[in-house]
Amino acid sequence: MAGPVYVIDRVVTRPGCARKFVDAYLAEYAPGARERGMALCDVLVSPPIWFDEQVNTVTITWSLPSPQAWWEMTWQGRPDPTLGAWWAGVATLIDERTRSVAAAAGDVDELCDV
Amino acid sequence: MFNVTTLIHTDEREPLLAALRDAVGEVPDALVAPTLPGVRNGGDILMHLRFADDQEWPGVQTRVDEILLAPAVTHVDSARYRGDPVGPDEPRGSVYRALFLRVSADTPEDVIARFEADLAAMPRYVSTITSWQLSRVETATGSSAWTHVFSQHFTDVGGLTGPYLMHPIHWAYVDRWFDPECPDYIVRDRVCHSFCAVAPSHGGSA
Repeated sequence: MAGPVYVIDRVVTRPGCARKFVDAYLAEYAPGARERGMALCDVLVSPPIWFDEQVNTVTITWSLPSPQAWWEMTWQGRPDPTLGAWWAGVATLIDERTRSVAAAAGDVDELCDV
Repeated sequence: MFNVTTLIHTDEREPLLAALRDAVGEVPDALVAPTLPGVRNGGDILMHLRFADDQEWPGVQTRVDEILLAPAVTHVDSARYRGDPVGPDEPRGSVYRALFLRVSADTPEDVIARFEADLAAMPRYVSTITSWQLSRVETATGSSAWTHVFSQHFTDVGGLTGPYLMHPIHWAYVDRWFDPECPDYIVRDRVCHSFCAVAPSHGGSA
């Protein structure tokens, strides 16, 4: 069985907002994500300075044990209107963001062989 | 081809199936079948009709609409659209699946085009899809103003619930359009995911 899959939030925060975003993410978003089966791997801030007048890029990586676990996570979250509302509530802290899903290069062939 | 796909919710499936099959008996390419376990918002009966053009539909519609007015019918989602399936004329496969979805009305056309291209890419990666069709809806009824129907023939139920769901093209790429946590989220209403068994004589109408 192929190894874990990763959910990666890459968030460019507005100038002076990185610390506030990270604090809100960890306090408000992360507990529910863990309940849906995600395990927090990293919260990286680039550059590692709490800028006041420039943007930061915050990269948050979660892991799930398998694609099936990814589906179970999203099936739990999708009907929950508070998730979309949470992202809308922090929109004033964010310049732009992406969410991507990835896996280790060594697992790609096996993941695609379904 | 002019297509009419209808998902019917009912507590009296067998008599309704018989009545609908009788009503569409003259349609050369008609699929009227009970849905299989696992549908979501997909109804109890799936009816998929294909016509050479839209002139042939009104006569059939009168008979179908009369049946669908019965008290036993609790809800109907229906879409009319044009297009032809991509794939062999007589695809292998024992399952027909239809996905009804509504793209948010404020979505720019170039974004819709990227979304459609992503959906259309899926059959290249999911080997259990034997034919498929992606069409914009001309007329819709039901719980949403459906904008697209994405249909496929699958090798079997396992091909739908296994490779289609588990290939990364789905969960790591295309699903972002449906995920309220992703910035690309444009399919905001609940979708209809419906599928049924296909008789061997049912041809290439994905």
